[in-house]
Amino acid sequence: MNIQHTSNKSMSSISLSLVLIMTVLFSPFVSSAQEIDLLLKGGHVIDAKNKINGKMDVAVKDGKVFRVAADIPTSSAKKTVNVSGLYVTPGLLDIHGHVFHGTDNNYLSNSLDALPPDGFTFRAGVTTVVDAGGAGWKNIDLFRKNIVEHSKTRVLAFMNIVGGGMRGTEAYEQDETDMDAKLTSAMALKNKDIVVGIKLAHYIGHDWEPTDKAVEAGKIASIPVMVDFGKALPPLPLEDLLLKHLRPGDILTHAYRYDQEYDKNGKMLEHKQAIVDVKTKKVKPFVWEARKKGLIFDVGHGGGSFNWSQAVPAMEQGFQPDVLSSDLHTGSMNAGFKDMANLASKFLVLGMPLADVIAASTWNPAKVIQRTELGNLSVGSDADIAVFRLREGDFGYIDASGMALRGKQKLEAELTLRSGRVVWDLNALSAPLAK
Amino acid sequence: MKTTKKGQPYLALLTFILILGSFTVSAQEIDLLLKGGHVIDPKNKINTKMDVAIAGGKIVKVAVNIPANTAKKTVDVSGLYITPGIIDMHAHVFQGNDLGSYIADGQTAVPADAFTFRAGVTTVVDAGSSGWRNFRLFKEQNIDRSQTRILALLNITGNGMYGRFEEQDKTDFNPEMTSYMITKLYPKIIVGIKAAHYWGDFTQVDRAVEAGKLAKVPVMVDFGEHQPTNSIKSLFLEHLRPGDIFTHTFAYGPKDRETVVDDEGIVKPFIFDAQKKGILFDVGHGGGAFFWRQAVPAIKQGFKPDVISTDLHSDSMNGGMKDMANVMSKFLNIGLTLEEVIEKSTASPARVINRPDLGNLSIGSEADVAVFSLKKGDFGFTDVRRNTLKGTQKLDAELTIRAGKIVWDLNGVSGPLWDSPQALTR
Repeated sequence: MNIQHTSNKSMSSISLSLVLIMTVLFSPFVSSAQEIDLLLKGGHVIDAKNKINGKMDVAVKDGKVFRVAADIPTSSAKKTVNVSGLYVTPGLLDIHGHVFHGTDNNYLSNSLDALPPDGFTFRAGVTTVVDAGGAGWKNIDLFRKNIVEHSKTRVLAFMNIVGGGMRGTEAYEQDETDMDAKLTSAMALKNKDIVVGIKLAHYIGHDWEPTDKAVEAGKIASIPVMVDFGKALPPLPLEDLLLKHLRPGDILTHAYRYDQEYDKNGKMLEHKQAIVDVKTKKVKPFVWEARKKGLIFDVGHGGGSFNWSQAVPAMEQGFQPDVLSSDLHTGSMNAGFKDMANLASKFLVLGMPLADVIAASTWNPAKVIQRTELGNLSVGSDADIAVFRLREGDFGYIDASGMALRGKQKLEAELTLRSGRVVWDLNALSAPLAK
Repeated sequence: MKTTKKGQPYLALLTFILILGSFTVSAQEIDLLLKGGHVIDPKNKINTKMDVAIAGGKIVKVAVNIPANTAKKTVDVSGLYITPGIIDMHAHVFQGNDLGSYIADGQTAVPADAFTFRAGVTTVVDAGSSGWRNFRLFKEQNIDRSQTRILALLNITGNGMYGRFEEQDKTDFNPEMTSYMITKLYPKIIVGIKAAHYWGDFTQVDRAVEAGKLAKVPVMVDFGEHQPTNSIKSLFLEHLRPGDIFTHTFAYGPKDRETVVDDEGIVKPFIFDAQKKGILFDVGHGGGAFFWRQAVPAIKQGFKPDVISTDLHSDSMNGGMKDMANVMSKFLNIGLTLEEVIEKSTASPARVINRPDLGNLSIGSEADVAVFSLKKGDFGFTDVRRNTLKGTQKLDAELTIRAGKIVWDLNGVSGPLWDSPQALTR
């Protein structure tokens, strides 16, 4: 706001101060002409941090959220977009993507199996993606240069406890000599602006060394650890991981995974990671205990890590995920996962209230990664905003094993703003008519 | 198959069964049956309700009422449209990490599989991202590793689309090397030549046509960066051959590209002559090359593009273009029939790139198939300057099949219900 024109050489300094004070006092009540760059009008705002779940307008100015209130006059805005009938939420925050794309013949570290984020984020309402362990301390610099600095999406990272990152499950990620808590935490601290956690994944050895190293790195850097619990045979007990090795605030990802594995005689093994007991269909007691202790359960859908046979009974018994996330990579993008809006729709269809689904995709993950400036629409925060349509109809959703579940609802990202800029507009809500 | 002496009686029996099987419809000879859909296969002049049967990755039957008990798996697609897998003749998929580069091995190109199947596309033609110097890298790094069928137009510039500056180098327009790479090395993958982004006279186009003559393939021209503009009338009537392709047909940038529709909104008369002569007009929507002010009057006056395509890259993917199904929907909403839209996205591009094996559902052809729903409602479509056209129809890719394999299933129509008996056996 420009108040310089109110000053006058003939005015005494006292009256000038008075004018200034009056102006400041009254500015929240009057709206000067077109001070707002973009006004989202008539939508239903869901903002978990600020406990908003109702019809409100959202005003954006200079790339920041400027005001969230009922009935902000359109005359105060340079541009108004009618979003009535739609849901306005903070831009989604996906804490489990794989976006360290490159051309090496690796798994998810500087490789073609990882994806450039911008093609998958904005069209699903996502504005921030956290790469889940593609880079370790040896290549976090490359990750910054190639990915963070070249993406419109805000990109953050869990750094792998393996120095070389997620280069391959068979050998590289089993190399305990390449897991160093001190070096990992040192690089995490040096790259504080983008590193929000430590990742351990795919370890198949029958010991806890890597887990404990990851936690040690997390302690030194004061950041959480995310674990993709590998496929050790004989299995390491999940109960021990959650109750003995991880800290409150640490994250178990692939929460609803169920891998069918068989012993030499063809007998099915109870997979160590399943949170729902396959025989009784009950959420295991230690899982509830872990939640009480403060462990975080993350979806990490991916190509192989989300099964209706786990998610349906868990949701029926009230075990909702703390965080919805993608595990985006080439193996998940065209399968059951598709994109974050599709994943959010799955949980809606499973009976999770819309407000909870949004919270688990915005404010919850922001808290989990200790980036509380994200995932909310507080005044002054970066204007990362998503606008969704909740479609009603006959839809179907598939899990990681290709099984379908029918549902009546589907979320579609209509409009996505990143720092106040329209970066996705499915149905041209923000554009003028031609001619 | 092992053929031991012991096995010979079984072999005889097997042969007998096989012979028998060829006369009767034996149980479950079909791998996948798409049942109850409306087939649009312009090449075979089909536009009616039919079933489509797939076996061994090929189309084995397209007919009314193929019985479900002859198929291992049946997917109910009633209410949906079944078409050949869509061909996107203008995309940029030489994705890489050369931060100095624009599109060749650069970050402005995108991974094909991420944008194709979800829009019903099974084949893309990369439009000149690579030239003869870096095509091998493109092949090894991207083409060989994609599920999408990737074909290519080879840039007449040896380094492909490395950057605007490098693309001005006349000494790098080499018709011999370009044509050799096609005829001697990759005749099955490289289907044409691309000329683009040149600031000078007709030299680049003429070299591209020279290469096209040597290799007997068409040339695609992006003729958009000449200041002052070069005459497109001269391009069509004096430089290009019948069968060559003009892309970015509905672009509007009068300073550096002569437009197809004049300032009064009238299609220039020589455009119709050029199309009659055999010049092919490609959409190539892109991030800057599709304007309602060109497309709407053109369609109204009966000038239709020959081929609908995206010009997919990272600067078009989130803008007015979005994906191939969205671009196709735009043309539905400005007056093309659904059959025309499908024809210009399947049989027509296949003809243009001389690949008659693609873009149809003929018996024996590779089972690249798309299934679309046609949504009715209130939709909006933007052009590259974010001007809007309101529409009432939108195509959604429901199911995409590549060589008989389901590679996209928007609403899980091909999966058994998770708590059904079929699910429990898996």
